[in-house]
Amino acid sequence: MSEPVLQIRHLSVDYPTRVGVVRGTDDVSLTVYRGEVLGLVGESGCGKSTLGMAILRLLRPPGKIVAGEIVFNGQDLLKLDNEAMRRLRGAHISMIFQDPMTCLNPLQRVSDHMVETIRTHHPEVKEQEAREQATELIDRLGIRAERLDDYPHQLSGGMRQRVMIGLALALNADLIIADEPTTSLDVIVEAQFLDQLKDLQRQFNLTIILITHNIGVVAELADRVAVMYAGKLVELADAFSLFDDPLHPYTRGLLNSVPNISLTEDHLQIMSGAPPDLINPPPGCKFHPRCPRAMERCRVEEPPVKEVQPGHWTACWLYGEQEGHK
Amino acid sequence: MPDTPDSLVEVRGLKKWFPVQKGFIERLVTRQRQFVRAVDGINFEIRRGEVFGLAGESGSGKTTTGRLILHLVEPTKGDIIFDDVNLAALSNEEMRRMRQRMQVIFQDPFASMNPRMKCGDAIGHSLEIFDVAKGEEKHRRVLEMMEHVGLTPAHILYDKYPHQLSGGQRQRAVIARALMLHPDLIVADEPIANVDVSVRALLLELMLQLKQDFNLTYLFITHDLATAKYICDRIAIMYLGLICEVGTLEQVYRNPQHPYTQALLAAVPVPDPHARRTAPMPKGEIPSPITPPPGCRFHPRCPVAEEICSQELPPLRPVSGDEGHLVACHLVR
Repeated sequence: MSEPVLQIRHLSVDYPTRVGVVRGTDDVSLTVYRGEVLGLVGESGCGKSTLGMAILRLLRPPGKIVAGEIVFNGQDLLKLDNEAMRRLRGAHISMIFQDPMTCLNPLQRVSDHMVETIRTHHPEVKEQEAREQATELIDRLGIRAERLDDYPHQLSGGMRQRVMIGLALALNADLIIADEPTTSLDVIVEAQFLDQLKDLQRQFNLTIILITHNIGVVAELADRVAVMYAGKLVELADAFSLFDDPLHPYTRGLLNSVPNISLTEDHLQIMSGAPPDLINPPPGCKFHPRCPRAMERCRVEEPPVKEVQPGHWTACWLYGEQEGHK
Repeated sequence: MPDTPDSLVEVRGLKKWFPVQKGFIERLVTRQRQFVRAVDGINFEIRRGEVFGLAGESGSGKTTTGRLILHLVEPTKGDIIFDDVNLAALSNEEMRRMRQRMQVIFQDPFASMNPRMKCGDAIGHSLEIFDVAKGEEKHRRVLEMMEHVGLTPAHILYDKYPHQLSGGQRQRAVIARALMLHPDLIVADEPIANVDVSVRALLLELMLQLKQDFNLTYLFITHDLATAKYICDRIAIMYLGLICEVGTLEQVYRNPQHPYTQALLAAVPVPDPHARRTAPMPKGEIPSPITPPPGCRFHPRCPVAEEICSQELPPLRPVSGDEGHLVACHLVR
């Protein structure tokens, strides 16, 4: 595998609330390699967005990183001062959010966004040059140059999301974190966007963390997939192994409950129960109250994340280390 | 469309044009009124006891169609026949009574429940409005319904406010509320778009179970063709205010005739990395419903469009040899 761009080690994030502390991500370790698309999936509240925001150190208070390291290109981001972190955001790690309308300034033209992004990090670049770069960039994204002078509301949803990628690419970021990038898009526009993202990813060898609840989108794009449940990383594997041979009972349940357009499958499997209350999470494995295969040990002892098959990690007592399963 | 004895709702030539609001000066200058043609002449029927799907992207007019059937907005043109009664002919009071027989479930249960009303009271509210039951009797009926839809323990949840319920529970409460008056028709507008995937399957199953228990007919409005597959018997695909294809689920999914339906089905991401999509997508996005393209609404994006497509609006016609399957495309013979 290529070199690691980002190594998250034992990261925990807390959200203190009036009724107790919610642990948003709990002891999560994850490595992202250069040139890969890592899909990060799970249901709402599982901690996937918290993880994305924590990497950029953009957690909204009272959310706070309480333990762990985030090593990006060899340096621990948690040790950087605010100014150094600010320089890094956008230039080296960029983010694409779900709703581009709330991320673009409604009073600024597309060109202003682009030029500002470029010149903030490279003040030596002249405005005219930055504009030229911007024109080239949006042309590559399939937006006509004259749209550069439009305001965000004049663009369609798909175009706005493409402008967001443009901003992320403007400074050749090493890592792009895309949090539900297609959730606000209609299905055909979503497919167009995914095609484009795929092309750009190949062309520029981009490293992308794709955070989404949409299992179909992950299957379409991701090289490796990490599954989270109740703040925990429960499974991590390359996309084919994960979909062909999911190990964790939660991953199995999740994959079986995804609606599939193919007519050969006509029954959705139902997962009983609901994700746990994170203020009082169950002891042991957090999935045990819903797990069809829970054992005594699962109720008391939390399973560690283990490499069960080469490159296939899971946190479940059903599996021993590096040995056969089923 | 022929009158069939088992049709519950019949929609004939239905149109809804919303006027575009303009500034005073602009109105003086342009002197031209513009309309958003949300629904622009559609015909279909919903048969008693079926789940009829209405699918399309945002801006296709599917939600407006649902609201028109409930008479929550007045049609610009056309008729809605509900159980042999033309809704346009009803007085306000008669329409109010008629609404007992048609109920609605919206996408966001948070937005459709009064935050200051207890869950049980909200569910039983319609019983009071229509003078069906009150006091102890209302309480009893509400608890019974809550049990039925799985809102348990009912006597505890009865006194909870919407914000104290989970997303799945809220959606169950909205479903229970819709069923209190034993309606014939439920218009479900993206009823499960907001819930997590593990809860989705559960709610779909519940809706199908309730349909059996209460002899319901559903109009299921959705943008999600994968979900529609699990619940719909027949489905209509809408694009820019018009129906481009209608048929049984099998007919439309297995043998889509309209290029738009084909694209829409191909675009749905499949949860299987072995089945990654290779089919190219149509260019561009859904155009403005204020100035829809002439001829077939889809022709500017259609990969196989011919000259006639930009000139004449294709009518919804039967697909030969496939009974009940209709398509609006010049190129399908």
